[in-house]
Amino acid sequence: MSAPPASLAGVAHKVTQAQIAKYAEASGDRNPLHLDAEFAAATPFGRPVAHGMLVLAFASELLAHSFGRSWLCGGKLRARFRSPVYPGDVVTASGTLTAADAASATYRVAVRNQDGVDVITAEATVPLTP
Amino acid sequence: MAVSADDAASFREAVGDEEPAAAGDHVVPPMAVAAMVMGAAMEAVELPAGAVHTAQELEFGRPVDEGVMLACSATVVSNSVRRGTRFIVLEMRGDDGAETALRARSTIAIAGASE
Repeated sequence: MSAPPASLAGVAHKVTQAQIAKYAEASGDRNPLHLDAEFAAATPFGRPVAHGMLVLAFASELLAHSFGRSWLCGGKLRARFRSPVYPGDVVTASGTLTAADAASATYRVAVRNQDGVDVITAEATVPLTP
Repeated sequence: MAVSADDAASFREAVGDEEPAAAGDHVVPPMAVAAMVMGAAMEAVELPAGAVHTAQELEFGRPVDEGVMLACSATVVSNSVRRGTRFIVLEMRGDDGAETALRARSTIAIAGASE
């Protein structure tokens, strides 16, 4: 494989309450924190928030589109959920190469909202197949 | 559990990833596998409403084709209370019989816990 790219740029995703509801159905995660405005209002978040795994999927999408099958065959992701994502937020995943050798490349990955706040930070390692 | 073609399509629509699968037309999005393995584990653990996901580790072993049966397992590896918040760490696996397709480790926070 050629040298891994120094940076990875994802597409912007506008998160909507309808999308959160679809994700709840698709994943089976129906935690009312994501779906019930009255319930969420009584939490520190104040209103429904997106599933962390929904937002993390944007980071995985970035890596899958950048590395294809290699991402699915040995890709590793260590992520921290830093800030909530609310309906209406626009989030974008990006990656910066931090290390590489013949076998793998490691990226610092961030998903940022429209205000430049990191909502997820992660380290991703992708095997580099010949 | 198995992720059907309809399940995979619903997941792609939910995350807004309409491009063809990176690894092939009948390969389940890796995060769909993760979500469903984790969903089964969370259901078994019976987390309370309002539990918050704080950290996640994922390791993808191999692509999973639509309809392939995965044996899922989950273990609570840590359960502790710090400053009134309970932290549960779950380790999960999805195996297709021959290989491990997914390893996952989730950290979940539950506010309002007593020591």
